[in-house]
Amino acid sequence: MRKFGALLLGDSPDAVIATTPAGEVLYWSPAAEAIFGYSCSEALGKSMQDLIVPPERRIDEQLIVHGEPPGRTSTYESYCRRKDGSLVYVDVTSKRMRDAQRGEYILTTKKDVTQLKVLRDAKLVEAKFGNLLESTPDGIVIASPTGLIVLANSQVEALFGYERGELRGKLVEMLLPERFRSGHVGHRSKFFSQPRTRSMGAGLELYGLRKDGAEFPLEISLSPLETDAGTLVMSAIRNITDRKKAEQKFRGLLESAPDAIVIVDVRGDIVLVNSQTVKLFGYTRDELLGNRIEMLVPPRFRDRHPGNRAEFFVNPKVRSMGEGLELFGLRKDGTEFPVEISLSPLETEEGRLVSSAIRDITERKRFEQALQEKNVELENANLAKDRFLATMSHELRTPLNAIIGFTGTLLMRLPGPLTPDQDKQLTTVQSSARHLLTLINDLLDLARIEAGKVELHLEPVACQSVLEEAATFLRPQAQKKELSFDLSMPRDNVVVQTDKRALSQIVLNLTNNAIKFTERGGVHLRLSTGDAGSIVISVSDTGVGIRPEDQAKIFEAFSQVGSSSRRRREGTGLGLHLSQALAALLGGHITFESQYGSGSTFTLLLHGA
Amino acid sequence: MAARILIVEDNEANLELMNYLLEMAGYIVLTATDGELGVAKARAERPDLILCDVQMPKMDGYDVAKTLKADKLMKATPLIAVTALAMVGDRDRILAAGFDGYLPKPITPKTFVSEIEAFLPPELHAATPPFRE
Repeated sequence: MRKFGALLLGDSPDAVIATTPAGEVLYWSPAAEAIFGYSCSEALGKSMQDLIVPPERRIDEQLIVHGEPPGRTSTYESYCRRKDGSLVYVDVTSKRMRDAQRGEYILTTKKDVTQLKVLRDAKLVEAKFGNLLESTPDGIVIASPTGLIVLANSQVEALFGYERGELRGKLVEMLLPERFRSGHVGHRSKFFSQPRTRSMGAGLELYGLRKDGAEFPLEISLSPLETDAGTLVMSAIRNITDRKKAEQKFRGLLESAPDAIVIVDVRGDIVLVNSQTVKLFGYTRDELLGNRIEMLVPPRFRDRHPGNRAEFFVNPKVRSMGEGLELFGLRKDGTEFPVEISLSPLETEEGRLVSSAIRDITERKRFEQALQEKNVELENANLAKDRFLATMSHELRTPLNAIIGFTGTLLMRLPGPLTPDQDKQLTTVQSSARHLLTLINDLLDLARIEAGKVELHLEPVACQSVLEEAATFLRPQAQKKELSFDLSMPRDNVVVQTDKRALSQIVLNLTNNAIKFTERGGVHLRLSTGDAGSIVISVSDTGVGIRPEDQAKIFEAFSQVGSSSRRRREGTGLGLHLSQALAALLGGHITFESQYGSGSTFTLLLHGA
Repeated sequence: MAARILIVEDNEANLELMNYLLEMAGYIVLTATDGELGVAKARAERPDLILCDVQMPKMDGYDVAKTLKADKLMKATPLIAVTALAMVGDRDRILAAGFDGYLPKPITPKTFVSEIEAFLPPELHAATPPFRE
């Protein structure tokens, strides 16, 4: 009989515990092992209070048990703590016993009513808060101190992928990834011993586990909820996948920027840097984060920097790269380098931050320096070239002066009479010397045009007068060769905005050429107006013309065509080249038509003002 | 009475050319072969007109002009540059330095004398120039 009794005791689904009046465990049934997690051998001889009664419940429970006279049964609801820290609701029946053999002892049975209570609480809470909870955008989970889900709104069910009502009565830990579960049991028990509101995001990175096994980042806020059924915990859960993605994008953006980016808070502490910053300044991320931005500023600028920084925080304006003074950065190894910095305010949940993009401009400074040196060099080279041209001009003219001068005095017969041969030969010397002089002048003109040294004096120029002057100057030469010389011009004044000297030079050149290369017939100088106020000046001759194969290179320097040495001698070979260059300076150009053997027409086209 | 003309020129051939043309025209010619000698001779001889090269050793034409034009006794004497500096801008630069006239080299022998005479009062022109064209 005793054996059967013992057997029944062992099989009882409720925990059966016997203790001394002081609470020392004398008996610990298998059900007690199952419910509280302590094995019989762990429990025997220990204080039951220490093992499973939460501190805040101990005095109450002592009073209940000891307040009853021996032999009377007392029954109450309470909760106990398991070995793993989690709580379990119990219905407790206890009785003070006395027995001759053992003296006084206390027999207690504890029935696990956690599930029953949760379902009861759920009804209560749902009736009271259900509608309210469904209407919030966040997922809401209400859990009991034992960690069972009393209520989950449909947002939570959708968030975690569960059916309606499927979560009720389950451990909240099922919503967490495996690796966080054991830690969480401890956390929530602690929360109940000191319940206080904890806001969103104030804590570590948290993750949720969906029914399908997928994880997602979440943010959670906890607050105690006083109900008729006791203190529950309400947690609002927000899926922050999108925000995390945005943050990742932001980080990606930071990393992909070519500049070092340093973000500081209002105190000047570095809160974020990208890897370019690490590379540029030589500090590790850890050495930078949380430290003052002034560590990156050379000592001589440090005093002023916090003031400037504070000013920017008060009155932030986006300041772009390169605007402002010459700035320098300081590396970990103490070296400095020139930087360009752009600042912009960054409004965040943690308040206003300032983002600064820092660019190392050492290379650019070097380039600028090199460029400047190159410029000086070029300028010097240009000056040297100018000096060379001036010297060449001077040195060539000096002996030419004596040659042309004394040839002239001889031909003037100042020293005495000349024989016809002497006269002829001296004339050849004279024309050769003049040829040389023209060559020098043309070469110098060309050099000046190519060096961009020609200054145009643009003014309204009457084309008629330019052509008349050329005609007056060159008609005698034509007459000497018994050539006709005609001039056709419109009666109305043709005025063009141009450089008179350059225009005259072109007209003289073309007309001079026409006379030079014509032996029979004549030269015809024409002025007319073309489309859109353009001016057309053409010089036609009945001379030798230009061979088709020579026409392509007629404007090249020293391209004078024909094999006659005499003809070669007569021009410099630079005249047309120079005229074309001058025409281009005036915004016009020269074209020609030629029939080999019967003459050429050169046409200068100037665009009207 | 024909004018006394001082030629300041370091190049022998060119000095001889101008000397020849002026003497043949009936003028009295004085010569100096650098700027310093030119200034000294000008002060000593007080010529009626001075022809002066620009690029010369010791003292160049610019300094000759500066010196003579600052000299109360000399500044009225016509000072004409005869120079191989004949690039664009040279003429303006030379006139700005104080010269009264500018003749670029090479000179034109036929017109040289009459170009000089433009700076002389008629009474100082040579009486019977042997050559006029």
